Amino acid sequence: MPARAVALSRDLPPKRVMRADVEGCDIAVWRDPAGRLHAWNNRCPHRGMRLSHGFVRGDKLACLYHGWHYGTDGVCTYIPAHPELAPPDTIRTEVYRVAEKDGVIWVSVSGPAEPGGADGATVPLRTLSVATDEVRALAGFAATPFRGAEPQQRETGRLDLGARTLVVHANPVGPDETHLHVLVDQGADLADRKALSRWCEAARTTAEAGRT
Amino acid sequence: MSLSYARDDWYAVAMVEQLAEGRVLRSKLLGQEIGVSGSATEPMVRASGALRPAELRYDHVWTTLSDAPRPLFEIAEAAEDDRTFVPCGPVTVRCSPLRAVENFLDIAHFPFVHTGILGEEPHTEVRPYKVEIRDEIDEVWATEIGFHQPQAAKSATTAIETQYQYRVPAPTTAVLYKTCPPKPDAWDVIAIFVQPETEERCIVWPWMALYDDVTAYAELVQFQQEIFLQDRSILENQKPTLLPLDPRMEIPTRCDLTSVVYRRWLKRKGATYGAMTKT
Repeated sequence: MPARAVALSRDLPPKRVMRADVEGCDIAVWRDPAGRLHAWNNRCPHRGMRLSHGFVRGDKLACLYHGWHYGTDGVCTYIPAHPELAPPDTIRTEVYRVAEKDGVIWVSVSGPAEPGGADGATVPLRTLSVATDEVRALAGFAATPFRGAEPQQRETGRLDLGARTLVVHANPVGPDETHLHVLVDQGADLADRKALSRWCEAARTTAEAGRT
Repeated sequence: MSLSYARDDWYAVAMVEQLAEGRVLRSKLLGQEIGVSGSATEPMVRASGALRPAELRYDHVWTTLSDAPRPLFEIAEAAEDDRTFVPCGPVTVRCSPLRAVENFLDIAHFPFVHTGILGEEPHTEVRPYKVEIRDEIDEVWATEIGFHQPQAAKSATTAIETQYQYRVPAPTTAVLYKTCPPKPDAWDVIAIFVQPETEERCIVWPWMALYDDVTAYAELVQFQQEIFLQDRSILENQKPTLLPLDPRMEIPTRCDLTSVVYRRWLKRKGATYGAMTKT
């Protein structure tokens, strides 16, 4: 299965953790203090608590429920209820591949995390959640004019909007929910980015209404 | 799942103080629609339209779907007139009723979930304690539990070393006997009566029998509700929603002995409504 874009890099600063959904798998994605990313099965093996609710301490992710610490390899290193105990290395969570390119975080639940999608824009604009499937979400974007120009879709996920170019990385997270991570070309100035951000909302309305 | 064991127990389904003329409190019990109405002297419970028994105990209305239920357990402290009795419910939680009970029996989470109240770092260690199934009364008991607590109760003015004993008299009920800060020779009693709406959704009815004649009633309720709302953020994020009984699915450590014995006791009795019995 291909890697999926799960977030913009700037939305996950060091020492933070978030939840992501990739191909139906519940994932905890976190960034250690050195800036490295980690993507794990979102379940503490102790009591099944979602690790995405946890907290980063040093270069460990700790579960919110009982504070069990996990190192960057996903292996449990510390159980606060028994500070003297060396946890057996069988207590571990499943680790997935994660990569970062052009300000976007990519996760794969099987095989390497090769960033995919279209080229042509490298500046992160924003993330939106659209209440429809991936195909209708992208169709809604392709059908919404920007400053009077009809979008030209040269390849899936790449839209030329007059002088501007957008790349949209879609991640379907349910039958009726798609997350879109939108990038814009480097020539866009602040006014362009503001206008495009508002255009994204109009495009979402179009997509959700199914007026495509 | 086993509905047959669960049907033969009594369940709290409302606080007496919620009853009022013309009012019907609707919820579910073991998947059936129920309505609680009537007055504090004459409560009525209907399940799928049919009248069921309605008993008043521990400031709650209790009912059962069985025609031959096991007797409702006794809490002796309920007869002690100088205690303050505080029903603090309801807290609806999207989790298995058994996970709600198991969480109540757990002390290792206090420093992380109830930070600054029931626990705090670096006082995270759980020392050895005792757990047993008391076969003659068919209850799980955990005793000789001690834990450092910043504010063990509303009546506590400083951090103390609190002593705990837990008792599980029925699969969806847990009773805690805990050091009483203003009266060291007595135990405060805090219980949770869990109403299983379905296997994946429950209503928790906390109830306290305390020695505390200083704190306002509303503050006592608020103190417990804050704690239960903190627990809810955990309980709604455990996967799977059902309580696994297969020991390979979740990895316990030494401090989880109460949970291990509780799960074993449920499995042995076939009390598996809200449990995951297959993997």
